[in-house]
Amino acid sequence: MTFGGLTALDALDLDVAGGEILGLIGPNGSGKTTFFNVLTGLYRPRAGRVEFAGRDITGLAAQKVFRAGIARTFQRSRLCLPLTVFDNLMIGNHVRLQRHLAFNVLRRGALRREFDANVEASRALVATFNRRLATRLFDAASALDMIDRRRVEICRALVSAPRLLLLDEPSAGMTHGETRELMDDLLQVRAARAELTIVIIEHEMNVIERMTERCVVLNYGEKIAEGPFHAVAADPRVQEAYFGQATA
Amino acid sequence: MRRVAATDRRARSVSASGLVAVVVGIAACGAWLWAFLATDRVWLVAALLVLAAIAFVLVPRVDAVGAYRDAFARHRRVAVALSALAVLGVGVALYDQPYPLLMLCTVLLFIVPCIGLTIQTGYAGIVNFAGAAFFGTGAYTAAVLASRHVPHLAGIVAGGVVAALVGSLLILPMLRTRGYYAALVTIAFGILFSTFLEVNNALGGPQGLKLPGIDLVGWKFNRDVAVGGERASFYVNYVVLSLALALAAFVFARRVERSWVGLAFDAVRLDETAAAAFGIDIARAKILAFTLGNFLCGIAGAVYSMMQGFIAPNNFTFGESLILVSIVILGGLGNPLGLVPAALVIVVVPQKLQFIQEYRFLLYGVLVILVVLFRPEGLLPRRAREYFAGTLR
Amino acid sequence: MDAGVLAQYAFNGLMLGVIYAMVAVGFTLFFGVLDVIQFGHGDVVMAGAFVGLATYLGLGALGIAVPAFAVIVVACAAGFTMALAGAFIARYLVLPLRTAPAFNTLLVTLMLGSVLRELVRLFYPNGSNPQPFPRLLPAAAINLGNFTLRLDSTILLVTGLVTIFVVNLIVRRTRLGLAIRAVAQDSETARVVGIDFERVVLVTFAIGSALAGIAGIVYGLYYNEVNFDIGLLLGVIGFSAAVVGGLGSIYGAILGGFLFAALQTIGSVALPVSSAYNNVFAFAIVIMLITWKPTGLIAEPASERV
Repeated sequence: MTFGGLTALDALDLDVAGGEILGLIGPNGSGKTTFFNVLTGLYRPRAGRVEFAGRDITGLAAQKVFRAGIARTFQRSRLCLPLTVFDNLMIGNHVRLQRHLAFNVLRRGALRREFDANVEASRALVATFNRRLATRLFDAASALDMIDRRRVEICRALVSAPRLLLLDEPSAGMTHGETRELMDDLLQVRAARAELTIVIIEHEMNVIERMTERCVVLNYGEKIAEGPFHAVAADPRVQEAYFGQATA
Repeated sequence: MRRVAATDRRARSVSASGLVAVVVGIAACGAWLWAFLATDRVWLVAALLVLAAIAFVLVPRVDAVGAYRDAFARHRRVAVALSALAVLGVGVALYDQPYPLLMLCTVLLFIVPCIGLTIQTGYAGIVNFAGAAFFGTGAYTAAVLASRHVPHLAGIVAGGVVAALVGSLLILPMLRTRGYYAALVTIAFGILFSTFLEVNNALGGPQGLKLPGIDLVGWKFNRDVAVGGERASFYVNYVVLSLALALAAFVFARRVERSWVGLAFDAVRLDETAAAAFGIDIARAKILAFTLGNFLCGIAGAVYSMMQGFIAPNNFTFGESLILVSIVILGGLGNPLGLVPAALVIVVVPQKLQFIQEYRFLLYGVLVILVVLFRPEGLLPRRAREYFAGTLR
Repeated sequence: MDAGVLAQYAFNGLMLGVIYAMVAVGFTLFFGVLDVIQFGHGDVVMAGAFVGLATYLGLGALGIAVPAFAVIVVACAAGFTMALAGAFIARYLVLPLRTAPAFNTLLVTLMLGSVLRELVRLFYPNGSNPQPFPRLLPAAAINLGNFTLRLDSTILLVTGLVTIFVVNLIVRRTRLGLAIRAVAQDSETARVVGIDFERVVLVTFAIGSALAGIAGIVYGLYYNEVNFDIGLLLGVIGFSAAVVGGLGSIYGAILGGFLFAALQTIGSVALPVSSAYNNVFAFAIVIMLITWKPTGLIAEPASERV
């Protein structure tokens, strides 16, 4: 994947097993978010293939990638702030809603039933992350603090029951306590859906250590190491990538 | 047992007093509208405007209003029906005054394309500076079909359809461009439209076209109506039709907004990238919003042209598109209810205060600049999406 | 078709191209510096023309009738007043809205154009009718068959090209231009290194609007007539030209301006119908161009950090 003269991703061979939690780490600018963007169809790669659940999804538009079952969060918060929490969640759930104009304008009774069902489901989902937040389903997203907004973003990605969840620096800007809470909630969700595969981009190594079974290290768009966190952390090439030199 | 009964009674009394508030509020607005349209006296017009301004500023600050706003929401259907009745009542009260009736019809008919623009710009974020061109498309379609003796009702609907079809010519550029570029496309189209009409003698050229009045299953709209011993101006026919159209457009737009379709529009407007990442079909949403809006512009244009009896290219210039946009911005982008006071200000006030009639384009421009600089949310800001009454909790 | 007539059309096209280019450069400067489209820019051209006209009449009232002197005073008056107007617009209408959605700026500038139009129409004596613009340049001409090469038109053409060249020089070679380009590229970093962001924006708007004012004078001297509503079409054409060339690129704006004029000229030569269809033809082509290349023929593609 190149931007002008800059090669952001090059020869990245990555296999993710179903149901695993994979960490994706690397110094700033190593191509982690670019990888997500290529995966989810926001960028077109110059070469290479992406295969998901036996299907070739290389170069598919973002909407089709999503319908294949891949949902994501963004590094920079992308909630629709003027809209309510519920509205934001329903954006995430939109493919499962009745979207025809005739239904929405004429069959108000049926719409009401669909609405009520989704309110219930959203409340339940949000409550697994934070009970208090579940009572604020109809507050504007702009009224939430950053942590709650993060939670809503993750819920938005989860609400359509995706098979693969891509989290881009979910703990950015949080304290250790908040991060721990968030990770607990994620593990809880994962426990309820064993087949959910998660790939987490993180700079916070505690998260990687705790959450992931395996991680992949990128540097300058290339994979330089792969394996369980402790093995990777001890790898001199990884240390050099992060610190400039291997620690003795 | 007794406490439950007491709470029950209190709830019912709040609901009852809420209903009373709805009725009183709507009746008051109706009376205001009647006085405003009927009078010729500048001092009365000024006084009514000042009264409205005071009410507008004070009413939101009164604490009790919050509760009554809930009452309006709860008694929504009643409120809508009563409002329609009130407007009808004003029309009846003005039965023998053609000029105020014409103003009422014009306001109602201008609200419809503005609702269309609200769907396009307020909901889906599509900029459209060619509203008058689509309005004009409907008008000319109606004119041409009427001259070929197509039944008028079909002609009116055709006006909307043709406007939507003409709009589809712009779809590809509108989808591929964002923001300013999209604005440029519609501005250029608007200019092209009036230029095209002027040089095209098949459509009457600069002199325009004449139209017959509406003839709906034998009921001739352009004939004064005799009721009892009284003669009512033929404009009452148009009041009924315009009101029906405006009401239908309003209810339609509100239902669209309070639905998954409206949600998709908002998502596209606020963040296309995120919307796409969650599977929303951006192109479909934009095409739908643009088409619906243009259809409304076209239908209103068709009715308007038949009411006026005569149309010319200089009725549908860029300046007229700016008037429509001004109404939408003044009213509050995204809130169709705000279009009512805004249309009254922009359409009726210059007619009432004749001394500003000459300066009205200048004043519209200054007004919009001031609104955008100091109160960009307009007269009635858009509120959070309340899918169904009472669900915003 | 006769070579002379073709040459006449071509020269006419060049003149239009210069005027459009002058307007387009303004649009592109404003966009480069603030990511903003000043939709009333065409009406600034018109206002400049009317200021020039009023200045000329004022000079006449003072008994000054030397054309060479008058033309310079008129051009300077137009340029200078429009520079002030541009700075005013930037300071009070555009800068306050830079954190608001782009639609708000679009509206405000569009309405500004409308206000300028109406002010002239209502308050300039007999403003709703076309006003004759004086002939201030020497009327000598050379006849080459069917083609008349007029000295005044040539002077105008050269003047237009020179002013564009001067603006380009300012932007490319002076410290001020460096500051402008820095702000255009990355306003935050420019601020961090000590560039006065607001001052640069005001100056940029002043330069662009001064150019527009002079374009108004060129227009008036060429057509010998100005009208309160020439601004709308000029603005739309100038914007289209800037877009086709690529917003933010001065060369693109110049290219776009001449391209649009060429389209109009080809339209009037090739299509045997009324001259009003020139615009239909040219705009249709422009809309197709924008659809094909949404970010312009020259400019860098827009990118958004995801």
